[in-house]
Amino acid sequence: MITYVVIFSILAVLLVASALYAVIQKDLLAAVISTGVVSLILSVFFYLMQAPDVALTEAAIGIALTTIIFVITIRNTSRNEDETVDNNLEKF
Amino acid sequence: METVFIIVLSLMALGLLLGFLRFVKGPTAADRAVALDTMSVIATAALVLLGLMFKRYIYIDVALIYAVLGFIGVIVIARFIEKAL
Repeated sequence: MITYVVIFSILAVLLVASALYAVIQKDLLAAVISTGVVSLILSVFFYLMQAPDVALTEAAIGIALTTIIFVITIRNTSRNEDETVDNNLEKF
Repeated sequence: METVFIIVLSLMALGLLLGFLRFVKGPTAADRAVALDTMSVIATAALVLLGLMFKRYIYIDVALIYAVLGFIGVIVIARFIEKAL
């Protein structure tokens, strides 16, 4: 039982830390990779809560589909967050 | 047998923690991509071990799907860094 508590605590800290990192990071590719880490840890969480089907869906959507779509979006726009803001300000 | 599981799970949690440290520190995006791949492999091994621990062998399918899809995600990031996507 104590093993479960320790594992859940470590995973929860890592989950919150990587989610915060995804929000505050200015390099958008690093933020996308951080989203992948969030999805990975969340999938292990679902697995530990005895829901393997939810973990399967989270793994499929989170690490493959979201990463691919976001990387294609970054390729078509800008990689740096500040540049994007400047472009928007010039446009409007 | 339970002791073995606890020791191995603790070592895997340590490996996950070290991979996360590299992920936070990594100066370039390539470091972070490799850290994500490392964490994904460790998580896959942990999922297999937990399936063995719960004695539900259907759980191992999750690890299988995770291994295949994690590879695809890291390949996409690598192709983008290579400017070849």
